[in-house]
Formats: sequence, structure tokens, C-alpha cells
Amino acid sequence: MPPPANTRRAPSPPDGGWGWAVVFGAFVSIGFAYAFPKGIAIFFKEIQGFFGTSYSEVAWVSSIMLATTYGAGPISSILVNRYGSRPVVMFGGLLCGIGMVSAAFCTSIMQLYICVGFITGLGLALNLQPSVIMIGKYFLKRRPIANGLAMAGSPVMLCTLAPLNQFLFDSFGWRGSFLILGAILLNCCVAGALFRPIGPGTTSVKTQVTVEGKGALKRDVTEDAVEMSSPTNLPMKNKTEEEGDRDCCEKINQYLDFSLFKHRGFLIYLIGNVLMFLGFFAPIIFLAPYAKHIGIDEYSAAFLLSILAIVDIVARPTTGIIANSKWVRPRIQYFFSFSIAFNGICHLLCPLASSYTGLVIYSVFFGLAFGMVCAMLFETLMDLVGAPRFTSAVGLVTIAECCTILLGPPIGGTLIDTFGDYKYMFIKCGVVMVLAGTFLFIMNYYNYRMLAKEEKERKAKEEDPKTVRTENEGRNNWIKETTQDGPELEPLREEQEEPKKEVNGIIEV
Amino acid sequence: MLAAFAGKCLGGLLLLCLYLSLSGGSSADPAMTTQDASSQSQANSLTNMKNELSEPMATTQIVSWQTQGCPSDPVTLGHEVSVPGPNLATKESRQTSNQSITSVQYELLLPGASGTSVETTISLEKVVEVELTCILDKEYSYLKSFQVSWKRGNETISHTNKTDNSWSIKVSVSDSSKLGSYNCTLKGEKELSGIFHLQVPKIKGKEKPTISYLRDTAVMTCECPGYTAISWTWYMTNGSKQIVINESLLTDRYVISKKSASITQLKILKLTKEDGGEYWCEAAFELGKSEGRLELKVLSFMAPLKPFIAIVIEVVILVALIVCYEIYSTKVKRTEAEKEFDQIEHLKSEDGGLESSEARQRRI
Repeated sequence: MPPPANTRRAPSPPDGGWGWAVVFGAFVSIGFAYAFPKGIAIFFKEIQGFFGTSYSEVAWVSSIMLATTYGAGPISSILVNRYGSRPVVMFGGLLCGIGMVSAAFCTSIMQLYICVGFITGLGLALNLQPSVIMIGKYFLKRRPIANGLAMAGSPVMLCTLAPLNQFLFDSFGWRGSFLILGAILLNCCVAGALFRPIGPGTTSVKTQVTVEGKGALKRDVTEDAVEMSSPTNLPMKNKTEEEGDRDCCEKINQYLDFSLFKHRGFLIYLIGNVLMFLGFFAPIIFLAPYAKHIGIDEYSAAFLLSILAIVDIVARPTTGIIANSKWVRPRIQYFFSFSIAFNGICHLLCPLASSYTGLVIYSVFFGLAFGMVCAMLFETLMDLVGAPRFTSAVGLVTIAECCTILLGPPIGGTLIDTFGDYKYMFIKCGVVMVLAGTFLFIMNYYNYRMLAKEEKERKAKEEDPKTVRTENEGRNNWIKETTQDGPELEPLREEQEEPKKEVNGIIEV
Repeated sequence: MLAAFAGKCLGGLLLLCLYLSLSGGSSADPAMTTQDASSQSQANSLTNMKNELSEPMATTQIVSWQTQGCPSDPVTLGHEVSVPGPNLATKESRQTSNQSITSVQYELLLPGASGTSVETTISLEKVVEVELTCILDKEYSYLKSFQVSWKRGNETISHTNKTDNSWSIKVSVSDSSKLGSYNCTLKGEKELSGIFHLQVPKIKGKEKPTISYLRDTAVMTCECPGYTAISWTWYMTNGSKQIVINESLLTDRYVISKKSASITQLKILKLTKEDGGEYWCEAAFELGKSEGRLELKVLSFMAPLKPFIAIVIEVVILVALIVCYEIYSTKVKRTEAEKEFDQIEHLKSEDGGLESSEARQRRI
């Protein structure tokens, strides 16, 4: 029987098919996670009057929600590593719904902090991370396009949520609106239902059928081995002891991979992004007030944000398509650094725009740059650390970004208050982002060179032991036929090989 | 030295009051087009005021300030309906004090952008002496012979020629009868006119209804930004009657609180269906009363519950559909995989049979 020529280590991502349904689910999930904190700002004035607090106290609700969405990243990663994406997203959707429904019955601002801020924020965090992870599992060749499409959910949801929230508020007041928004957030459960598990050792049908067969095989083999001479028992016992020690460290790493902090690419990404987020969100928040400050009326100022959102919607999938092209994909990190620096340059040029047309042009370019960065935000991380470790990576990155995301707008606000002029805030944001872009560019250049060097060394190593390996290949082949290889099944397979050799040796003797 | 210190103090107080009226003015006026022009004119008036303060009149002003106190300062930089275009209506307000009655000046530059007439609205909260001046723009000084008349309705008021091309009247606004529209008309080769609308400050209510629920609390706010009302009264319209909400009427359910000098709040606890309807907040000023309208809608909790349940049902149906589709497609895949597995097993058993026969042969 001819051995199969290529045995795969893990099933390669489908790059299509049900993947597009997953992209739609991620579109909805990511859209809610990013757009919801901004969308509920419409209710704040009424809530402020209702509870008799100051506006800043009510604005804390949004900040707490955003902080929890980013800060609960590691929790999300641990849960996904343990239970898989689908149950986590459905639980997250349920949590969001419960949070908003309970917020509809709140009687104090503290209760709002808890219900809307913590509970709904946690639910959104449990939505955001797994969506991004699932895209990595379902796509490889077309991953940038999938990422771009999924991230386009954020501006689309914002554009729909803003008028919807206004309509709900006018019809039902803030309490009724929160109740209905809770129901709308339950749609995240629908998105979660679309996240059909995929990957090694999960519900792949072939493995289910063959695992039973393999289990029977293993039992036979171990029985034979035990019946054999006792010397074979000792090496096996030592092996089990070693495995016990390894399990402890592996267990922690299984839940949250802290060894990522030794990963060069991950560290580069982390430092660059943490720096970037310091100046990322502030310009959007202060664009409308800046427009009003230079004398533009309220409606035109709001229209600037709409222009930004519309350009953003178009820019994200387009960036995905560009990033997927064969010229850009191998050098996607450079493209990412370029888009960050482009963003920074836009902000630096903004103070020159003193008329409405100038601001419109700025909004267009800002929307473009913002969309480009957001579309590739998670794609570049996946590219650096690879799909298996992405789960933990995204959790660790979001909790680090959480601090600077929250710091950025207040720092901008203090700059505006101390100098009385918006241009210093734009200059600060521009400088920070240009710095982050250049840092990422240089470090990624260095990273690419190191990766190329390591690849060469690995290939050189592989050349040598190839001659020794071919004998074992023959024995291993029929095992490979009946079993699907996966990382967790591999140690099992190696365990089998040794007693198997003994058995064969004895038979042949 | 005392005058200089007093001048500085007054300057600071004026800046503060200017800021208050600026922030109040920009939100209250619906027809404000370019804020630049108005802020510039405010700045101009501020510099004019500063120049005024260096005059020896400063000492008498101090007295009047202290007696009256700053929040109710008489420096009302009125509100203007600025007309877009190059000939913007500018306004200056200078203050002179004469015992306790203050005098304010308002000017209009003729003609306006629309060609012949320009209007402005001035809100007055206290008793003042108002001097209204119409100034002819320098560009139009070629118009030689014209007749100037000041009128209020059909009543003609005698005016004084301030300069060659400006004419003014003085009105002592002591009660509400003096409020209204005063217009100056220049009849000549061209007819130009300017209208000053003198009125009490408008109350900002809410155009959209406030929505609340049964047994919940409703909070309604009224404000007159930049001005201080002497007193506030709340009315509720029941059918065609207006009922005053005062202390005697259901004190435990109604809470009227004065949030600040210009903001009042009505809180209604434990709402019932009958509480829905029109509400009026009335501010009493020295020169009259002004009303703001609010609407309250009381809904039962069934109202948002229906869309809520509809959406929940939709979510459940979608999730069920997706799960069913998945089970169906995995069943199809499973039967196909089982068929394949059976085939593989069959082939293997054939091979296995061959191998074991070989092994047996070897042993033998």
C-alpha cells in the first residue's frame, strides 16, 4: 500500500466556504464591541439630568465600558483556550443583554457603572477577542481580506447605531432604549452560533471516528508492552514522571501563553501599538469640538464625523484586499507601519486646515488612514505570532493597550485646556503616531532579517538527519494513515512508536 | 492707585460677566449664523468698555456695582440676530450709571445685507434706559437728502441726531408696556430701515417630549441662559385649565428645585397616567413674564417590552436555525466519512490478512 505523500500536521484553514459566514458573525461582533460605547453617548445628557450628576460622571460609563472591553482581554483568551470560541461568544452576548436589561432598571449612577460599564463591557470583551481568533482559524491565504471585512463592522455599526439610538430615545426614553438595546445585543449570540469550531482535535468528523480505533490500538500495544520484559516498564515510568512536571508549566501556558513575552515579533508589535494608541482615538473625539471652535456650526461638524465613518467603511475592506496582494502580503508589517505614519502626518497637517473644506479634506484622509490601521491591526499580530498562539497574544496585547487607550483622550483634553488651542493636541497625536510608525518600520525590518536568518539555519538543520529518518518513515506510515495528526495527538503517537518497535522486533525475531 | 485697582477689579468682573453672557448667548439664539462676527463684536465692545473705565466716571460706577452685585450686573450685551453678509449689525453696549438705573446703548448699522432692512432682538431682564442708534454705513454717505423717523407701531418718537449719519432715541424701559419693536426709517433716494425688538428673555424648554414610565420619576428642566429670573412658576395643563403647581398641591410628589440662578427643575415622583401632558415653566422678570413649554409622556412598561420580546424571539429563531443547519450538515458529512472509513478498514483488513499470512509463513 503506497504511503500518502503529504501527511499534514494540522488541517489547513478552509479559506472560504463556511469561513464567510464566520466573517459575517465577526462583522456583527466586532461592530458591537467597538461601536456600542460610542453609540450610547446620545443618552448621556438625559441621564445626567435624571440623576442630577455632572456630565463627566456620566461619561465615565463609556470609559469604564471601553476599559473593561480591552482590559478583560486575557480573561477572554483564557476562556477561549479552554472552551473554544463559540461558547465564549454566546455567553458574552448573553452577558451584554443581561447588563443592558438590568441597566434599564437602575436607580443610581453607580448601578449604571456596574451594569452598563462592567457587565456589558465584559460581555463585549468576550465577543471581540474570539471573533478575531476565529478569523485566524478559518483563513490563511485570504486572511487580510477577511480581517478587513470583519473590522469594517465597526464603522457600519456606528453609522446604524447612532440614528437608531436617537430614534429609540425619542420613542421610549432612556430606560426603554436600554431594554431594547439589550435585546439587540443578544444578536451577538447569533454571531456566536455561526462560529463553528474548526481545527485539530475538535469536532472534525474523521478524528472522532478514528480516535476510537486508535484508542483500541493503544490499549493493545500497552498490554503487550506490559506483558513484555520489565525493563521496558522503567523507561515508561520515568517518562510519565517527566510529563507530570511539564504539565504544570504547560497548563499555565495552555491557558495564557506567557512565553510570548520572549517572542521578538510580539514584543515589537506590543511596544509599537501601545505607543500608537496614545494618539489614536483623541483626534476623533476632539474633531467635532475643534470644528465648532473654529466657527463651524453643529450640524456641519457632525457631518465631518459622518464623512469619516463613510470613508472608513470603504477603506477597511479595500486595505484588506491590498494587503492580500502578493506584493504586500510578505511585507505587510511595512504596510502597517506606513499607515500609522500616514495617520500621524494627517494629524500634523490638520492645524493648517482653517476652513470647512480643509477640515473635510482632513476628515477624508483621516478616515482613510484610520481604516487602514484598524483593518490591519489584528492581521499583523496574526502574521507575527501565528494562528496557534494568537489566542493568548491578542489577550495580552489588549490589556496592555487598555492603559494608553484610556490615557490618550484625557491627555489631549489637558493639552487643549492648558494651551487653549487644539493644534497642540493634533501635533502631539501626530508626533506620537509618526514615532510609532517609524519604530515599527525599523524594528520589523530587523525582525524580517532575523526571521530570514533563522529560516536558513532551520533548513540547514533539516538537511542532515533526513537520511536517518527514512527507515522510521516506513514504520510510521501505516499509523499515519489511520490517524489524523494534531499537536495533542503527537506525544501519543511517539509513545506508541517505541513499544511498537519492541513488539515488531520480537515478532520478527 | 485705588482707581487703578478698582479698574482692574471691574475689568475682571466684566470679563466674567462677558463670558457668562457669551456662553448664554450662543445657545439661546436660534438664528445665529457666524459666531466669529458676534465674538469679534463682543471683543470690540469689551475694548470699548475698558476705554470707558479709564474715564473719571469709574468712581461712580463702583458704587453702583457694589449695591447691585455682579451676577445681576446691568451689562447686558444683548442678543443679536446677525444678518449674514458684509454689513453685519454691530452692537456696542456701554454702561453709564446714574444712581440705580443703568443705561445701555444699542446700535444698528444700515443697510443690512438683504438690501433695505436689518433687525435685531434685544432681551432685557431688568429696568434699563435704552439708547437705540441707527448708523448709516460710510459707503452710503453719498445719499444726501433723507428723512429719518423713529416709530413704535404707529407712534412716532422724537429722535436726536448724534452725528452726521447716526440718529438715536432714548427709551426708558420701566415696565412691559415699553417693550416692543422700535424701528428707524431713512426715506430718501433709497429706503432703509432698522428694527429693534425689545423683549423679555426667552425661556429654553424642550421641543421633544420627555418620556418616562409609570411609577418612575420624571425630571423636567427649564433655563434662561445668561439671565436671572426673579421667580419661577410651574403650570400643568389639564384639559384647558392651567393648574399651578405650588406647595399646597401634592407636595410629596412634586419637587421644584432651583439648580442655579437661571435653571429650574421640576421632579415628579411616582408617575401616573394622568401626569402626562403639557407643562409650562414661567419665569418672572422685572419687565414681564416669559414662558417655556415642555411635554411629558408617560408610558407603561409594556411599550418597550413588545419590541424587546420580538427581538429576543428573532434571536432564538436564528440561533435555532443555525444550529439545526449545522447538525444537518455534520450528519451528511458523518455518513460520507463513515462510508469512507468502512472502505479504508476493508482495504486494511485485506492487507492485514496478507501480512499475517506472510508472518505465519516466516515463522513456519
